[in-house]
Amino acid sequence: MAVTEDPGKPRNLAERVQRLQDRVYSAIFHNYVWQSIFRSGYPNTPRNQMLVVATNIFLHLHPTRIHRTHVKITHTYCLGGLTFFMFLILTVTGVLLMFYYVPSVDSAYQDIAALETNVKFGLLMRNMHRWTAHAMVILVFLHMMRVFYTGAYKPPREFNWVVGVILLVLTLVLSFTGYLLPWDQLALWAVTVGHGIGGSAPFFGDETQLIVFGGFEVGPSTLIRFYTLHVIALPIIAAVFMSVHFWRIRRDGGMARPL
Amino acid sequence: MAVETRAVARPAAKARPRPKREREEEVLVWPDLVFVEFIAAVLFTITFLMLSVFINAPLLNRANPELTPNPSKAPWYFLNLQELLLHMDKAWAGVLLPTIALGFFASIPYVDRSREAQGVWFGSKNAVRLTLVSAAYSVIMIAALVSFDAGDRTYAETLTRWIPSCNAEAQHQGTPCLQDAEGEAHTGLLSTKDISKRLEFSVPFPNFLGVDDGNLDWPRDLDRIPVPFNNICGNVGSFHLWCDMNLNIPSIMAEQVIPLSTVAGLALAIIYVLFRVGWLRTKRDLFIVMFTSVLVAYLALSMVGSFFRGEGQNLIWPWEIKVDEG
Ligand code: HEM
Repeated sequence: MAVTEDPGKPRNLAERVQRLQDRVYSAIFHNYVWQSIFRSGYPNTPRNQMLVVATNIFLHLHPTRIHRTHVKITHTYCLGGLTFFMFLILTVTGVLLMFYYVPSVDSAYQDIAALETNVKFGLLMRNMHRWTAHAMVILVFLHMMRVFYTGAYKPPREFNWVVGVILLVLTLVLSFTGYLLPWDQLALWAVTVGHGIGGSAPFFGDETQLIVFGGFEVGPSTLIRFYTLHVIALPIIAAVFMSVHFWRIRRDGGMARPL
Repeated sequence: MAVETRAVARPAAKARPRPKREREEEVLVWPDLVFVEFIAAVLFTITFLMLSVFINAPLLNRANPELTPNPSKAPWYFLNLQELLLHMDKAWAGVLLPTIALGFFASIPYVDRSREAQGVWFGSKNAVRLTLVSAAYSVIMIAALVSFDAGDRTYAETLTRWIPSCNAEAQHQGTPCLQDAEGEAHTGLLSTKDISKRLEFSVPFPNFLGVDDGNLDWPRDLDRIPVPFNNICGNVGSFHLWCDMNLNIPSIMAEQVIPLSTVAGLALAIIYVLFRVGWLRTKRDLFIVMFTSVLVAYLALSMVGSFFRGEGQNLIWPWEIKVDEG
């Protein structure tokens, strides 16, 4: 409808409702504040749809167009994306847990117990964090399998596969360092098993125990090391590798396709 | 899609469909992909919210270094390594094999450089068969090996129970016998590891190579074989050199040679068979077999660790599991 055209009086109820809707819509989406955030309206032309993907910071990881076989769910089962999504949920719930948790042998266990009973949604956050962590480990394995069985590691994607293997290790280590933090019997003894395994490394056994676990048995210095690794060091490293991973998918010409 | 490069006129044979242009095969990320991603995210959020409402994360008693739960178990994704510890040397089980597996994964694309069969599921000729066969083989072999080795209900134990107890007084044992711990009932070899610990025998042997009584006693005479030049002592940084390094031959046999060659032999066997029946032809085929078997073995060993290991890491049925928390 051209702007200059005078719409005239509404002729019937339907038209009246339509006018009202338009007015509300433009009050919400065409006002100064909204448009300062989103520079264009709902992308309803192909050109705008590509622009929104290319210019929005959250969407710009994607290309603007993608081969039709790749949007089929059965090609990727969204596994890589879901792994990443688990990472995001873990970040959010993890930050919330950090507000209540003090990584010392004296208070860690009490903090978790109190979190479960005294904090609103504390138990829910802890459960979410726990179950999505398990899910992330499962999903990263499934993702690796989908990449392998679709032959998507082949040239030119060799290096991105290697980045993937590093991400797999990081995911496992992230999960393992988090396992100790509740400082309950499950945590202590599971990590003690890992401690023993680390100590069995040929030549570097003692060094592994001292450097990674902070001593020849699992104790206060293990807790603080695992905490630091778990909440800051490993997530940052994983985020860096994920950025490289996603960047490489696009640099390698999008996802793998038959020749 | 292959680009048509031949410019020469061909006889107008069959009318082929004109190859579609790349662009026509593409869809827009907004809305097609963003929509799928959004739905997947919503479904997973709801699923995990529900799961978290209904099932609580475990929280046992406060950690107590004095009370060791029996069994104590690693998290499930490392339980496979813990399971391997029962069967072989701990450095192999815990560090070397996992490192080799990861190195193998990382090297796959550098060895299999063919570009065929990418971008589609199981794109090469025998891919599905190879995957299924190797997965099944891996599960069966893990089950067989685990039920053979390590635990008081294993075949190894049943099959070796007839071997008599050793005579503690005798200087040489002669025929094979089993050394029983004091006050313990006689059992067979509970695991291959026991070969270096509980099995004893001796054979007549000339007096040389450290043997001075006319008998080579297993394991006594073999467990401290000096490596060459083991008199070079000192440290480099925090590492001890060579000094006083001795080989324990029985334990190397029982914990490294036997288990590792069993695994390697089983792997080579399936590869050879699949090669002979003609299913395994390319590097891709080989990697399908190896990748699948390694991953399935990883999973199967985790399952064994989670569901079939009870007190003292003995082999039991899942419904018999109870944890003594100390
Ligand atoms: C934290 C872990 C990981 C995250 C968040 C992640 C994320 C992703 C995402 C979102 C994609 C796009 C396609 C898809 O969803 O399947 C992808 C593709 C890919 N991933 Fe991962 N990934 C991870 C781990 C891995 C691992 C363990 C491997 C292999 C060892 C791997 C190898 C690849 C390769 C080669 C591609 C390109 C696939 C193609 O071209 O079709 N990634 N990854």
